Amino acid sequence: MKNFLTLAMMLAFSCAGAVKVGVLLPLSGSGSVSGQAAQNGYRLALEEINRAGGVLGKPLELDFADDGSTPAKAVPEFVRLVTVDRVDFMAGGVSSATSIAVSGPARQYNTFMAWIGAAAVTVQDAFAGDPYFFHYHPWAYDNVTAVLAYYRYLKSSKGAKNIAIAYEDGPFGASGIDSLVALLKKNGFNVVLSEKFKSGSGNFGPFVSKAKAAKPDIIHWIGYDVDALPLATEIRQQGLNVGMVYGTPPSWPVGFEKNPLAQGVAGLSLWLPSSPQPASRSFVAAYQKRFGSVTEEYFAPLAYVNLKTLADAINRAGSTDKDKVAAELAKTDVDTPFGRLTFSESGKTKYQGFKAGSWLDFQFRDGARLPVYPVKFARGTIQYNSTR
Amino acid sequence: MDLFLQTLLNGLLQSGVYALVAAGLALAVGVVGIVNFAHGEYLMIGAFIAYGMSAVLGVDPLISVTVAALAVFAAGALTYRVAIRHVLVAPELNQMLLTFGIGIVLQNLALLLFGANTRTLSTGYQGSSLAVGPLTVGGPKLVAFLLAAALLGGLYTLLYRSSLGQQMRAVAQNRRGAALIGLNVDRVYLIAFSVACALSGVAGVLVATTLFASPTVGLVFSLKAFAIIVMAGLGNLTGVLWASVLLGVTEALVQTYVPGGGGWSDAVFFLMIFAALVGRSLRGAAR
Repeated sequence: MKNFLTLAMMLAFSCAGAVKVGVLLPLSGSGSVSGQAAQNGYRLALEEINRAGGVLGKPLELDFADDGSTPAKAVPEFVRLVTVDRVDFMAGGVSSATSIAVSGPARQYNTFMAWIGAAAVTVQDAFAGDPYFFHYHPWAYDNVTAVLAYYRYLKSSKGAKNIAIAYEDGPFGASGIDSLVALLKKNGFNVVLSEKFKSGSGNFGPFVSKAKAAKPDIIHWIGYDVDALPLATEIRQQGLNVGMVYGTPPSWPVGFEKNPLAQGVAGLSLWLPSSPQPASRSFVAAYQKRFGSVTEEYFAPLAYVNLKTLADAINRAGSTDKDKVAAELAKTDVDTPFGRLTFSESGKTKYQGFKAGSWLDFQFRDGARLPVYPVKFARGTIQYNSTR
Repeated sequence: MDLFLQTLLNGLLQSGVYALVAAGLALAVGVVGIVNFAHGEYLMIGAFIAYGMSAVLGVDPLISVTVAALAVFAAGALTYRVAIRHVLVAPELNQMLLTFGIGIVLQNLALLLFGANTRTLSTGYQGSSLAVGPLTVGGPKLVAFLLAAALLGGLYTLLYRSSLGQQMRAVAQNRRGAALIGLNVDRVYLIAFSVACALSGVAGVLVATTLFASPTVGLVFSLKAFAIIVMAGLGNLTGVLWASVLLGVTEALVQTYVPGGGGWSDAVFFLMIFAALVGRSLRGAAR
């Protein structure tokens, strides 16, 4: 009888007509660590939203699709969600390459997009002036601003001046490389080497050989999780003495922190479980309760914030009308695990969420990520000369 | 000069794994006469066996080489019995579609079992290296190269110094003739295909120790293996060695000396396939 009642309630609930959000994520391929972390964040938010009554008195429903980290798969999946599944809103999006690829169909179908990833400026250009594109993740130039602040600190405190850059040759790594090099030079750094590589090829031998000749203080690499260990291994094997190895992948490979070669490798993150914000602490507790462990990937809380704020905006708008929801989402002003979230114009896009001030720098130390900069968030001192 | 020598050394070390993967593919093409598009997926199975044994049982990945070889040999035998033997006389397009499908099934099985995340191994010797004058040789790469060389030597001995090898060569030359003199062609095919898969599986272990394990890790290596066997000539095992060295060294030279070469290195094998095919067709026309 109890089972029958539950079934009847579920049927009644589903007949009410759910509000559907399509979520396009890299659940496989080179961006899968970020994509899967984001999927957990969405699931957690969805359960909390529906427990609290859903949106507009209806259940919220998520329709996940895997973009395979490739534009060729992202576009048909995006179009299927919008035209066949007829989702009301689109969320997700991690890689810049896939986001650029879906910009065409997004314009064609006038799709509402609450987007969590895609830092490349080319994505900003692709969605210039779009009234329904809400970008949560900082842009690449925001990342650069954050990295530059850290490097300036290293320059003044450790004398680090010479930088060798390895960047993947896709939009993520290559689109902002010229401005990054120019900015570093303008700030008194010597870019002694700047080399592109094919992400996932694992062949960093030539880069490290050349870097040995160039004698950099910092190795700066822009790539994906698959590149982290091959680069760290090659640096160690070729005995490259360097003050700091610094990476900006969207996510790190599973178990990398436990590898001795990760010791001292530094990176940039929007969030760590130890982040001091109250909203972060409650997210960590909820995530731990739901999944039994805590992720260190910032795409999990970013997706969580993404769906929560979108649901809030739909409720405030009182309908799924895109203009009304956009107007409400634009008014967002909430505490999040990353700090305060508001939207404002940035570059060519109308609605930009987090910016440079949200980033923090960490180092892999003794099997965990230790925040080391900005100083106010640091939980330990910077370990310089980590490979020397 | 040091940079040039280091580049050559990097390329040479890289060629060991290439040769191991390509030798397996050449064996499948040369003896069984099947172009196995799932060859990279057997490499992936080997990589996951190394990862699993290291992460779950704490076994050193290099010790798992034997387990991987046996397991992937068995997987190859099963594939042959269940699928390959039924299309041996089918049109080539059907054979290709079948092996391509097997590759997709194996990749998706790996996705279901392990997820899509990149898995990395941690060993005490991962960062070790050997200094040879001004040059450095990465420990795992050197071990991978030596192991690949030993296995290729073993394969050569099997093919040219054993009765089974004689049978394989006989079947490769003339299947019908071999059957007429009483050879069990089906058994030879089974063994050749399974050995080919096992070589790829061992290469997977070596890849896992130097790179990572993931459901798609085999793709890049199988593409390069195809380039190598095209350069060497279908089924030419000795040519595979030289073509592997040529590919490995050319890639390293392009990465080091061509501006933006890191982004071009993956195009090298396409150019080499193109050059090999054009060269072969010109030689054919001259005759």
